[in-house]
Amino acid sequence: MSMRTVIVACLVSCVVAIAGAAAQPASKTIALPMRTDGPKSLDPAAGSTTYDNMATVQFYETLLQVCYYDESRFEPLLLAAMPERLDDGKRYRFRLKEGVRFHDDACFPGGRGRTVTADDVFYSWKRLTDKRNGLKNWWLLEDTIVGLDAFKDAQNAALDAGGSFDYDAPVEGFVKLSDLEFEVVLTKPVFRFLWVLTMFQMSVVPREAVERYGQDFASRPVGTGPFVLREWVPKQKLIAERNPNYHACTYPEASLWSEADRAAGLADAEGRRLPIADRIEFTMYVPDQPVWLEFQQGTLGYIELPFDYFSQAFNPRTKRMNADLRRRGVGYRAVPQLDMIFRAFNMDDPVVGGYTEDRKKLRKAISLAMDLQEFNDAFYSGLCVVYDGPIPPGLDGHPEGGRVQGAPRGPDPELARRYLAEAGYPDGRGLPTIRFYTSQGGNNADQVELLRRQLGRIGVRIDVQLVDFSTLIELVNKRSAPMFSFAWLTDYPDGENNLALFYGPNESPGSNHWNYKNPEFDALYEQGVVMGPGPERTALYERMRDIVIDDCPMIGSLARTRYYLTQPWLKNARPTERFWSWFKYLDVDDSKR
Amino acid sequence: MWSYVVRRVLYNVPIFLVIVLILMALLRINDPVAARLGKVASAEAIAAERERMGLNRPFLRQYAEFLWDFARMDFSERSWDQAQTVGQVVFPSVVPSLSITVPALALSACVSIVIGLIAAANRGKFIDRALMLGAVLGMCVSYLVYIILGQKFGAFWLSERLGTRVFAVQGYEDWTTWSQPLNAVRTWAHYCLLPVLISVVVTMGYDTRFYRAVIVEQATSDYVRTARAKGCGERRVMFKHLLRNAMIPIITRIMITLPFVVVGSLLLEIFFGIPGMGRTLYNSIINRDFPVTQAVVALLAAIFIASNILTDVLYAVVDPRVRLS
Repeated sequence: MSMRTVIVACLVSCVVAIAGAAAQPASKTIALPMRTDGPKSLDPAAGSTTYDNMATVQFYETLLQVCYYDESRFEPLLLAAMPERLDDGKRYRFRLKEGVRFHDDACFPGGRGRTVTADDVFYSWKRLTDKRNGLKNWWLLEDTIVGLDAFKDAQNAALDAGGSFDYDAPVEGFVKLSDLEFEVVLTKPVFRFLWVLTMFQMSVVPREAVERYGQDFASRPVGTGPFVLREWVPKQKLIAERNPNYHACTYPEASLWSEADRAAGLADAEGRRLPIADRIEFTMYVPDQPVWLEFQQGTLGYIELPFDYFSQAFNPRTKRMNADLRRRGVGYRAVPQLDMIFRAFNMDDPVVGGYTEDRKKLRKAISLAMDLQEFNDAFYSGLCVVYDGPIPPGLDGHPEGGRVQGAPRGPDPELARRYLAEAGYPDGRGLPTIRFYTSQGGNNADQVELLRRQLGRIGVRIDVQLVDFSTLIELVNKRSAPMFSFAWLTDYPDGENNLALFYGPNESPGSNHWNYKNPEFDALYEQGVVMGPGPERTALYERMRDIVIDDCPMIGSLARTRYYLTQPWLKNARPTERFWSWFKYLDVDDSKR
Repeated sequence: MWSYVVRRVLYNVPIFLVIVLILMALLRINDPVAARLGKVASAEAIAAERERMGLNRPFLRQYAEFLWDFARMDFSERSWDQAQTVGQVVFPSVVPSLSITVPALALSACVSIVIGLIAAANRGKFIDRALMLGAVLGMCVSYLVYIILGQKFGAFWLSERLGTRVFAVQGYEDWTTWSQPLNAVRTWAHYCLLPVLISVVVTMGYDTRFYRAVIVEQATSDYVRTARAKGCGERRVMFKHLLRNAMIPIITRIMITLPFVVVGSLLLEIFFGIPGMGRTLYNSIINRDFPVTQAVVALLAAIFIASNILTDVLYAVVDPRVRLS
């Protein structure tokens, strides 16, 4: 045997030996990607990011959930029925589903999870008021429930004075009728309250677990969710297994699905007990290449296609999937985001701010000089929707076709120059250089070059400051950034969430980053916030949208569309970003693996 | 020797204190609280978060408390970014880093020294030029290119061709928990061998040129001519006489690399998803997790100081002419 044969034999043996180390997935196991380095906490009260949400909802549940078959609606999850609306929406009566138990855990007597009661709901919501949890999610309930703001102030004051936070202290708006029935009294009939109840921060947690595990509670979830935590290696992987005691939840009926969804086989699992998969395994991915390669290897059940790889999977012009992926049976879903990418003005700034006609003209001139479609084509593979105003596609108040008559949508350099002259700066003469802040991440360095070029065409000069995100937020909160840019992802599918960004009392450091103040807008907002969906509220939203467009505190907007690819073996997959508890519906067809 | 070591340690204490002081001051130039709370942050929420993070304490108190904890090797402070203590974040990342860097360092040092010797022995000839050209080409290509091509062809393409997954595209499994050595090696190779090979290819270019230069310099020394005049064979001259005298720069180079062995290879760890020290440090900086950043940098500074002292001691061990005083 020659030396060459020996070397080849050795190499082949090594390859075979190493290859054996790759574990084969067990049946009904689904590998899923988590872009970025994953959740930071599994405590609903401490979570805030998409990835906290994605992980937490596998273990905890809320009273209501977004419908898998129709993301614009919600349905009971821990409740036996939809809450009863009383006193014109100032009071809601809830009835919890019977027999819902927390996961079995050592924090309960005998290690057996106990039944969820109304006290658990009140306790969980009170945790949002505890400053030891950071108050980062307090905005969800602030000025919403009678007595809860006073409870928060009193208990945190007690903490400051060296006392303790008394979770047993009563809150006027929490009325317990029985272990399973309770009422919540609102300060005003805020419609968004029901949407807030679908958000993961409002999940129900057991007091025993919080008290037993202390700070470690953030990594030891004990909820009612469809899965229990098997292993979490932060920034690497998270493995969850079927909760054997999961309450009676079934796959949505066929009649609830749209015709197209039924044709896609999404209704085939009608009536099946959830969760369908035995095990879900999340892997965290920071760079894009590994997630794309592993999807092609067939390892991952689905992926959100990175923008940079779009042209590898789709024809960028026709948006048709490439032949190889089609042949392999890969499916896809284009998911429009409730997204608002914008350039903003600080309305308190002496140059670009203000409400006089000439200030408005200046801002509109800048808006008219911009070509958002060019940004879309250059940086988002043309996948964004360009629209006027602050309400993204799919929500009440979004303009038909994305256009509003009279909106300062560019590119219109002629009109921009005219407005600029009328603002007192013919061809930009006399206009100081405007300082523009944006974060360093992504392709922002390239985006600002395009912005500089577009504004330069009408003589507007900008001094670009690329800063890290914390500095950007700090400058915006301190009202030191005359012009800035970032994006807003709507928290719940109601245009009110975006319009709240322009409500005067929310000014910096609140969510009204532009410090926009318009009494007419504020009055309309206060009127709209208590209204349920309907033509009257839509008309109100449209009026508010048009006021914002006319005052022009922002230039925008763009809404991203994400493409999700799914493996042929992954069943019931209808990827969405509106909520993240849909993994319980997923199934595996092993014959197609 | 021990008095020398103790003296050097004492000399370095103020340096260490200044490093930590500068680090902590630099970290606090920008307020991390607003970034943590995102775009919706009330003044009240910012204040509560600042208190929770301990940033409401005077700076010097934060500094003193950190040093006190570090002196006692107490890493029980909570990470700001993860639901774990600093110790739970930092220490589990040591083994994954070493799984890459130790084999990579050993392999690249051995291969580079051998190639350096071959090149030096054939100085000016075709083989020398070919090896040096290869080294320069290796240095010219970016680390990222090797990583991207390695993942694409070494992991993905190879797996497609062979129909079995030889190397992981990314990920890591703790190979030290296997009771059977063969399984441990297989698991290590599946996740770590490709990054190790990439690391060797990249560092070999620099190392080879350095070792060749060192050996060429030694090859012109009088003692080499004397050894040859006495009739020593070329192999004996190279490995017994020349290599031993070249050990000081070789040790220096390896010892300088040691702290980076512990801190890991940042790019490899990020792209291959290996939860090592480099990635931990990077994540802590990106996520403004001050407790973890401070702990890792302080540990790194201490390791740097220790490796410097150890280098001096090793000089004396390998070269009797060096006296520690």
